[in-house]
Amino acid sequence: MKIEHLIESISAKNAIHGKKLQKNFASLSEDENYIKDYNTFISKYKVILEKKNLTFNDSINYYLKMIGDFNEEMLDFIRTNKYRNTSFNEVNQAMYNNPDVMVSHMHGLLLSQFLWQHHYAVYQYFKTTIQQFLPVESYLEIGAGHGLYFEAAMEKIGENCTFEALDISESSLELTKSLIKSEKVVYHLKNVFDYTDEDEKKDFITMGEVLEHVEDPLSLLNKIKSLIKPDGTIFITTPTNAPSMDHIYLFNTIQEIRDLIHQAGLEIVDERYFVSEDIELEKAEKRKVATMYASFLKIKNI
Amino acid sequence: MNKNEILSKLSEIFREELDNEEITLTVETTANDVEEWDSLSHIQLIVAVEKAFGIRFTSSEIQSWNNVGEMAESIASKL
Repeated sequence: MKIEHLIESISAKNAIHGKKLQKNFASLSEDENYIKDYNTFISKYKVILEKKNLTFNDSINYYLKMIGDFNEEMLDFIRTNKYRNTSFNEVNQAMYNNPDVMVSHMHGLLLSQFLWQHHYAVYQYFKTTIQQFLPVESYLEIGAGHGLYFEAAMEKIGENCTFEALDISESSLELTKSLIKSEKVVYHLKNVFDYTDEDEKKDFITMGEVLEHVEDPLSLLNKIKSLIKPDGTIFITTPTNAPSMDHIYLFNTIQEIRDLIHQAGLEIVDERYFVSEDIELEKAEKRKVATMYASFLKIKNI
Repeated sequence: MNKNEILSKLSEIFREELDNEEITLTVETTANDVEEWDSLSHIQLIVAVEKAFGIRFTSSEIQSWNNVGEMAESIASKL
């Protein structure tokens, strides 16, 4: 399915959201890699859908269901200035352990990687910047989710590396597996706090959009710090002001994220932020508009 | 409050929220007619409309409207 056709099909079902996607596309298509990346992705994705007896129409409905859910959370967020969910156990029961909800949500998120400017921009940032931190001989991804970052990491790092993917949700890990299709990846279906590295610390850990899913993000940063080699690299992403049914911890500003990183004894080697709308960060934080933060971190030398 | 009064109050809210003094809504107005009306401002508009009329919408209502007239009907049904 061509990207234009995908956007038209979504617009036909939700005109206001379609308008936003058209705007995104006008700007995304200026990036020389975008169409090529999308085409590579969509041909793999077609195979994944067919294996599950799903169609692009199902996928579009999953995406629109996610948009509807986001809108509902956004309404509540603008009314209250808080994320609705505060308990990890409740979200775990309602989402991560609920295949119907999770499959739908992960397919929605997967499409968003190519439909939302800030999601595609973070993905590009990861792919281009990880090369500065090679070679990597042991790679772990926490919250591998739809598997797109994992796939990119495998491509950039190459053969001479052990690859591990961890996720708390079985449906999510299934999607990772179907995208990766590699025998050499070790998959862990568990909570990251239950993961032990058996003294084998990692060269590189990726943890995309996980910090906002836990009640205590500082203890999570401390946990990944305990899993990384002294000179290893951590890549994290997390959004500010992004209400979702599985987001628990609210970062109001980018500075709050930086403060937490420093509190965990980590230092920021390289960072970017991507506002989800075409406005400056200051305005976004004031208007509570979602902004994605991404950075490469190292353990701070004392 | 009749439909015209609702429309005129909605126009005021749209002008204020979207920062565009030239907006005048009719029952046929859609998001395609108002440049600044997109998915982000839609949610902000809804919260402003709720506040101004003292009502609450459900999420299915918010996604069901095809034009301003349908939004005004939802409002009228709650007043």
